[in-house]
Amino acid sequence: MQRLLSSLAAHPLALVCAVLALSVLAAATLFDARTGQIRLRVDPSLERLLPPQDEDRALFDRVRALFGETDPVLLAVELGNVYTAGNIERIDRLTRRLAELEGVRQVVSIANVQNPVADEFGINLSTFAAQARADPAAVAGFAQQVADNPIYRDALVSEDGRVAAFALSFADLDETRFRAEDYTGRIRAMAHEITGAEQVWVTGSPVIKAATTDAILRTLKFTIPAIFALVVILLLAAFRSLPTVVFAALTVALAVLWTLAIASALELSLNLVTTLVPVLVATLCLAYTVHVLAEYFHPRRPEQQRDRLERVYRRMGASLTLSGATTVAGFLALIPGSLPAVAQFAALSSLGVGLSVLLSLLFLPALLTLIGPQGGRRPLGAAMFARKARKLAVFDLKWRNWIIAIAVLSLPVDLYYASKIRVGTEYINGFDADQTVRVDYEAINSAFGGANLVSILIETYVNDALTDPALIREVESLQDWLEEQPEVGATVSYVDHLKLINRNLNDGDPAFHRIPDDATAVKQLLVFGGSDEIRRVIDSRFRTALIAVRIRVDASIEIAEFVRRTESRLQKMSPPLNGQVTGSPVLATRTVNEIASGQLTSLLVAFAVIWAMLALMFTSVRSALLSMLPNALPVALYFGTLGALDITLSPTTSLIACVVLGIAVDDTIHFLTRFNHDARAKASEKAAVKSALASVLRPVTFTTVALALGFLVFTGSELRNQVQFGALAAFTIVLAWVSDVTLTPALGSRLRIVTLWDILRLDLGQSPQHTIPLFSGLSLRQARVFALMSRLETHPTGARVINQGDSARDIYVVVDGTLQVWVERNGDRKALAAMARGAVMGEAGYFGQRRTANVDALTPVRLLRFDSQDLERLRQRYPRIAAVIYRNLNRIQAERLARATAMIQ
Amino acid sequence: MGKGKARMRLAAVMLAAMPTTLAFADEPLDAVLSCMRANVPQSVQIKEVELTAVDRVGSKRVLRGRLYGQREKEQLRTSLKIAAPPDLAGAAYLLREKGDGDEMYMYVPALQRVRRITGTGSDGSLWGTDLSYGDVKQINNAFSAGGGAVDGQGELDGRPVHLLTLVPDPAEDSRYASMKVWVDQQTCVSLRADFYEGSTVRKRWSADPASLARAGKHWYVGRATMSDLVEGTSTSLRVLGVSSDVDLAGRYFNPQTFYLGS
Repeated sequence: MQRLLSSLAAHPLALVCAVLALSVLAAATLFDARTGQIRLRVDPSLERLLPPQDEDRALFDRVRALFGETDPVLLAVELGNVYTAGNIERIDRLTRRLAELEGVRQVVSIANVQNPVADEFGINLSTFAAQARADPAAVAGFAQQVADNPIYRDALVSEDGRVAAFALSFADLDETRFRAEDYTGRIRAMAHEITGAEQVWVTGSPVIKAATTDAILRTLKFTIPAIFALVVILLLAAFRSLPTVVFAALTVALAVLWTLAIASALELSLNLVTTLVPVLVATLCLAYTVHVLAEYFHPRRPEQQRDRLERVYRRMGASLTLSGATTVAGFLALIPGSLPAVAQFAALSSLGVGLSVLLSLLFLPALLTLIGPQGGRRPLGAAMFARKARKLAVFDLKWRNWIIAIAVLSLPVDLYYASKIRVGTEYINGFDADQTVRVDYEAINSAFGGANLVSILIETYVNDALTDPALIREVESLQDWLEEQPEVGATVSYVDHLKLINRNLNDGDPAFHRIPDDATAVKQLLVFGGSDEIRRVIDSRFRTALIAVRIRVDASIEIAEFVRRTESRLQKMSPPLNGQVTGSPVLATRTVNEIASGQLTSLLVAFAVIWAMLALMFTSVRSALLSMLPNALPVALYFGTLGALDITLSPTTSLIACVVLGIAVDDTIHFLTRFNHDARAKASEKAAVKSALASVLRPVTFTTVALALGFLVFTGSELRNQVQFGALAAFTIVLAWVSDVTLTPALGSRLRIVTLWDILRLDLGQSPQHTIPLFSGLSLRQARVFALMSRLETHPTGARVINQGDSARDIYVVVDGTLQVWVERNGDRKALAAMARGAVMGEAGYFGQRRTANVDALTPVRLLRFDSQDLERLRQRYPRIAAVIYRNLNRIQAERLARATAMIQ
Repeated sequence: MGKGKARMRLAAVMLAAMPTTLAFADEPLDAVLSCMRANVPQSVQIKEVELTAVDRVGSKRVLRGRLYGQREKEQLRTSLKIAAPPDLAGAAYLLREKGDGDEMYMYVPALQRVRRITGTGSDGSLWGTDLSYGDVKQINNAFSAGGGAVDGQGELDGRPVHLLTLVPDPAEDSRYASMKVWVDQQTCVSLRADFYEGSTVRKRWSADPASLARAGKHWYVGRATMSDLVEGTSTSLRVLGVSSDVDLAGRYFNPQTFYLGS
């Protein structure tokens, strides 16, 4: 590793060139060279977040395969009074023009549907438009005829007769083309042009998806420049050097570019969840660049460029890797059992974090070395942060028990409120109230008793079963029940068609608006009397049927409640009738619930993975657990806030906990690592709390501000779920900061941590377990752990290590160098012994006596110094190591006693 | 309801008959159309017409019946009686072309009465199949009052064909913008036809050349399929026992009696 870092530090130009070449390749992958357009597709559908093999999605696809498209575009035109010959003619013209639009499979309006008029002479099956043309006076009866027809009632014309509706179904027209060619706008313009109406509304699943895509793209267009503006401002404030800012911004840009290019190469699309990735990556990369720049410009004595680069690589390599790893762990915890979209979000974000670490660590310092400024200005606010840190440390230490108590006691309160969290999201209400897409939806929803379509699939698996009058009556009863539900605006099934056919073929006698008494009659009426439209509600073998249900509600919680009740009602149908609920709103609702239900698992996995990493890093299960508390607290507070403020757990808000946990734990690591270092150096945990806070408060605060502002960029989105994500993530990251500057120091003040890096880096010389008697019987790792639980001191030649007569309780072990033990006798210096590697000294002080001799360094020396508190801490944390150390201490004392006894004798 | 009228005309139309004179490759459109129309016999009886409708998911529904057609003063009279499946047997349709519009009568056994149907369009499907009266009429007779052109000559399944593009008369109120037809040069029977909605092929008619057969001097195809390329459905048609220019009883074409007897 060292060799690799040295090699990289030796070739900054090659490194920069390689990164730039890869960036050109990434740009070519992401952008279409001819059009300049981004190749990444945006997929706004919630239902496609479900895995392809998902049962619900399979059911939805089967219904579409059996009965055709179930998500038409709905156009509504306010004509004042639909029932005039002129307006019927306008509707007819518009219907024809709409049908000519490429990709339109069918347009249904009052103009082109049959208006069966039956009498004793026969049945006139011509359309409303044809009847109006043949006899304009007939239009006067249309309102009543529509009201008498359950298939048309409140579907083609609003109840007040003012608004005409058009249902457009499409074939071979995917959502991308629908949006790219602005079908919504074209349909609207056509309606204005042909009818002259001022009020025209367009809605339906394709329209809302197109509007969502537009909103996502507009959000990206806004958030990405905004995040870069933020990057520039923050970096300028922190480092006050334009080239530094430009290079750091370039690093962030490359991290985003590479991430999106890989997404494009893998043909992933940006959906409602993955659209958060670019800003998230930019924000995290910004935080990493801040740490790297701080190290790069850290004031030191003059050094060669190569040495400087190697130093940055060496010092930042470990900490950035750990930061990145914990963040990635938070993201990856979202994957187990999650939906593909969430897994993609986690994988893409992790990839982005990895690339950010790589570019921040390697590319940015290399670029600065080549062409950047070499001296850093005094960091902004350094003195102020130092003062605040001191005050904060005093506060944390003074109120340590209170801080811990409040944190621990707040957990059950948070959990209580968290238990009140409702899972759900709002689809159309995710747009602002004045947005056209929402205005149109609400207008149509209100005029036609529902603009969301849900399908109920009735299956029997027996040919012709649905011609059995007994079963038809059950379906009719189900339909009646559905229409009683508060969410339902209208329903249509083959039973409606059947009753109408029966009435029409019996001279229009209302008495025959009923189900025929035998199956043969039913089948004959359906086969010979059914229009093309009947194929949309019953299959050709009369074994499967569909009830089309228009619902007025949009929020997933209300839809879920309706689905639950309906499924319960469907269970009551007698065999061979089986019913299932499906449709875009149902699928989207299930997707939302699926995402949120994986939340607890994800969180537990995130906690477990991060805890395991910390345990490995701190070489202590207990320390890792304690350092998780400051991160569990903001997560608990976040969920408590959701419950208390009745904010639903949606696909985006459910990501926050894991994301913030992965990010916030970095600050804990930064503090504890620094604290550990200082505690060892200063031999005082209280002093270490002060110095560690003084050291990390500024960068931790700075990165928190950067992250919070980065998340707040989302509040500029048009989509409420993204606004919620931004605001809540910023809120939670600030909570994490508060926790990290209060609870972490409070907990850490009695914590001594040994990090894996410490162990790996610590040099105790050749085979310390064999050459230092105190370590006899320990492994190399155990010897290093003990050394790190103690204090490793260095003394120059001539330094006094122990003063005769002092009262002290430390024991020293010589790691390397030579010392002399001497006493003063009658003004003369009398040397008693020379101490070299492995020697133990000062044990008299350990047993409560004053120092009996002086000890001076004859050469530069390194000593391990420990006292009874260190040994007690060791006993608690590493009892096996402590046992060996105690045994060795006893043996050393015994040997010394034996030697002394022998000398006396 | 009321797609029945197509069924009747279907008879005459389906039985695209032998041309009295063969059309040549470089002949103008009128000559090719005239040759096609000459395949319509004076009268026809088909002992069995079988329609197999395949829906989007591959489920099949089979209808069988017997068809009678007659040309009277250049206007068609067609009746069709359903023989199978048993629960639909006995249903019957009668279509009478008239100068001021077509008349259609339907008999449904369950109702035990004849109903006169008016106002149905020519594009509605026949009993939930992919065939409509308008489609079949256009396949064989072309758009009688529309325009078009001979695009050239070609080959289909090893047989030389005329390639026609036909556009409907606006008065026919057709849903299609145009139709491309592959007309067999030897028999003047349409072997393939693509129906265009805008620039999209909505339906495709494909006849099996191996099933080309003669009834008297008229050619017809014994097997063909109409596919709805948008809906993903198709309907296969099979005709057996075709007799042309036969004497047919008047009761088959009388609104009071067309459903009686076998």
